[in-house]
Amino acid sequence: MRLPREDLFHLIEPFLGEVERPSRYLNHEWGAVEEQDGPFHACMMYPDVYDVGVPNLGLAILYDELNRLDGVSCERAYLPWVDLSARMREHHIPLLSLETASPVASFDLVGITLAHELVCTNLIEVLDLAGITLRAAERDEDEPIVIAGGPSVWNCEPVAPLFDAVLLGDGEGAVSQMVLAVREGRAEGLSREGILRRLARLDGVYVPSFYEVVVDDSSTRWGYAVPREGTGAPEVVYKHCVDALSATEPVAQRIVPYLPVVQDRLTIEVLRGCARGCRFCQAGMTYRPVRERPSEQVLEAVERGLATSGYDECCLSSLSTTDHSQCATMLRALHDSLASKGVRISIPSQRLDSFGVDMASVARSSRKAGLTFAPEAGSQRLRDVINKNVTDENMDAAARNAFENGYRRMKLYFMMGLPTETDADLRGIAAMSERVVGIGREVCGARSKVSVSISVAVFVPKSHTPFQWAGQLPLEETVRRQRVMLEAASDRALRISYHDAQTSLIEGALSKMGRRGFDLVLAAWRRGCRFDAWTDQFDFEAWKQAATDIGVDLEDVACECFDLEAHLPWDHTSPGVSKGYLQREWRKAMEGRTTADCTMTSCTGCGVCSVLGTHNDIAGRRS
Amino acid sequence: MSAENELARRLRVCYGKDGRLAYLGHLEVMGTIMRSVRRCGLPFEVSNGFAHRMRIQFSQALPVGASSSAEYYDLMLPCEVNADEALEALRRCTPAALAPKRAALLPRRMPALEAWANRASWLVLLPCAADDAGKIAEAIDGVRARGVISFMRGDKPRRIELGRTLVACELRSEGSSLTMLLETRSTEQGSLRPAVLVQEVCGRQPRSVCRVGQWHEEDDGTLTSPL
Ligand code: SF4
Repeated sequence: MRLPREDLFHLIEPFLGEVERPSRYLNHEWGAVEEQDGPFHACMMYPDVYDVGVPNLGLAILYDELNRLDGVSCERAYLPWVDLSARMREHHIPLLSLETASPVASFDLVGITLAHELVCTNLIEVLDLAGITLRAAERDEDEPIVIAGGPSVWNCEPVAPLFDAVLLGDGEGAVSQMVLAVREGRAEGLSREGILRRLARLDGVYVPSFYEVVVDDSSTRWGYAVPREGTGAPEVVYKHCVDALSATEPVAQRIVPYLPVVQDRLTIEVLRGCARGCRFCQAGMTYRPVRERPSEQVLEAVERGLATSGYDECCLSSLSTTDHSQCATMLRALHDSLASKGVRISIPSQRLDSFGVDMASVARSSRKAGLTFAPEAGSQRLRDVINKNVTDENMDAAARNAFENGYRRMKLYFMMGLPTETDADLRGIAAMSERVVGIGREVCGARSKVSVSISVAVFVPKSHTPFQWAGQLPLEETVRRQRVMLEAASDRALRISYHDAQTSLIEGALSKMGRRGFDLVLAAWRRGCRFDAWTDQFDFEAWKQAATDIGVDLEDVACECFDLEAHLPWDHTSPGVSKGYLQREWRKAMEGRTTADCTMTSCTGCGVCSVLGTHNDIAGRRS
Repeated sequence: MSAENELARRLRVCYGKDGRLAYLGHLEVMGTIMRSVRRCGLPFEVSNGFAHRMRIQFSQALPVGASSSAEYYDLMLPCEVNADEALEALRRCTPAALAPKRAALLPRRMPALEAWANRASWLVLLPCAADDAGKIAEAIDGVRARGVISFMRGDKPRRIELGRTLVACELRSEGSSLTMLLETRSTEQGSLRPAVLVQEVCGRQPRSVCRVGQWHEEDDGTLTSPL
């Protein structure tokens, strides 16, 4: 039901003195758009608490773009933490937007960020708390049009029934088109179905209700989606792609939160896409091609962004900032102009070579916090399988350079359960890490406090990657392999931590199930699951019971391998990378053959550029 | 004392904390003000060392949920500025509910603001009706006679001695509501939060708390205004 638009802040205010971090709910932050006159009202929502959602750059980009649109106002909403949502339910208070504290169910359009698999129960929670009918197909004519977008759209089938439309790919430009289509459709008195037809014609827009799931001999047990007759929907929806990052607003993040948030700093996106081709990495496949923001635009944006926000840190963000062809010049220029003003420049991760350490040093990353590298696998054989083009020599040189530059702490990220992994590869993780400790002692002295921590995640096969056909490691086998690693690592300077294998199993199951996954998500939510990405809220038993409720076994689902030729549940949504390329990459992986980065050599034929009619856009020369 | 320390390179700013922003915690207020300073382009000193933090001092933390018309911060300056112009620039760049009201230049060498401003006045709206004034006054007398309040902060037991921390307490009826004008002193042992006293004498939390003044108390009891 569409609720009336009215300011209901007075309903939640009495509880603010009783809940954790009341500043999550206050609005009026610096940079928030106070005038919300519409007449078309959109609300962009992040399905987690404010402090996790505010730093999200995607949402900031859309908020900024929509508020510039004539006749359109855009507000934000976040999921209240469990203490406030319990009180809101008890007192029948619907979910409210931040800017005007209007019911989310009063908006014309609601957009939700699909951040990762583990927000799936939160998606149901936000809609339920808002009082919006859960299933798009059952919504009243006047209820908000609910759309989604974000990094996790690439197998959105397990939550697709919640959405009227899903935007695949870059949001810039596309979100305005969607809003205008809904606004014009409403003005013309079109039915909901009529509006969805308009949306389905737009570049990058997938309308789930226009597709039905077919299970046959050509598919896995989860089937594949085909357009419903008469809808005119395309067989495959390709993503919307912005050709040049330089054509987008570099200072999208304008809101300065009051409370310390997850990434409390100005973020300037310097680069979109990564063509290194790691075979497990979904972002590496789905954000192609590579588009760099030219250095002079970055420098201007940093200066302007710092002046308008007042932040004392700026992050040059991307999937691989040190790959930017002008990285060194940019960092040096920023260091020269900002160091004396007490402003830090940070880069999100270090490239695993000497250059990466040099750049971290220029960015003045904290010696105390140390450096983070991601070799991902412990042996050269397995690194070739996953196409992680780094060698033991790269690792050793990076470590030596880091210790010589005064760093004493290092964090190494690895994955467990990668295709073809053996116990020897696991022992390789321990050996590599101990070698790094050894280099540290050699450089800094035997008595120095060198510490190396290793974080080992469980590999989750993701859609649209060369490893999408692989199965996940069963829980028991994960535990056995963790033991193998622990036994191999004897040096006391090593600290080993594991990502929770149970949450990975949920991610793995949802990554496989296609639209049937919705039954699982709904059953889990009914059993009380929400905030699954928060360790203190995650309830594995409830998920297991939910799986039993719908007659599946989580391990059985997550660990299943798919046939290389099978129709997959996500084949109808495409980031432009061809399935043929992914199959070739899988075969090369099995043969231990690597593929080069097309921004450093020549095209390796992933298909994005020809399918989307675009190209890599590199500002300088990469090496 | 060096001539450097005599220079007027401390900008003292009085600001309020109003409306919804009463729910900001002290660290959140500090962060917001430091960002306002950076936004307005005023010069400021940074600490040495790796972090290069802004040199700024704040008056004592205000409890979450309490508003104020008399908060202060001292910004250390690398050069002299015009206080009126600085105030105007800060006003433009600070959220309205934390807007600066007055500013003045003071000598660089002074005691830290937090410890120096040791007296405060509070206006507290009690959760009881004006008719209850007699009962509440009795309860206050009882608590003062006992001289101590024991209470829980989170799951930790705490106690506060009233002898030195509670200076004065006066009840006023305004229409049907009852307000309390409270004078407190912070000591090395701690300071009395109005909500703690109200909970003790009324059995409930106050409806609202506002800090209306802060001073420094000299040894002879005279009060000096921060500005
Ligand atoms: S099509 Fe070729 S050049 Fe374009 S991203 Fe793919 S591999 Fe690189």
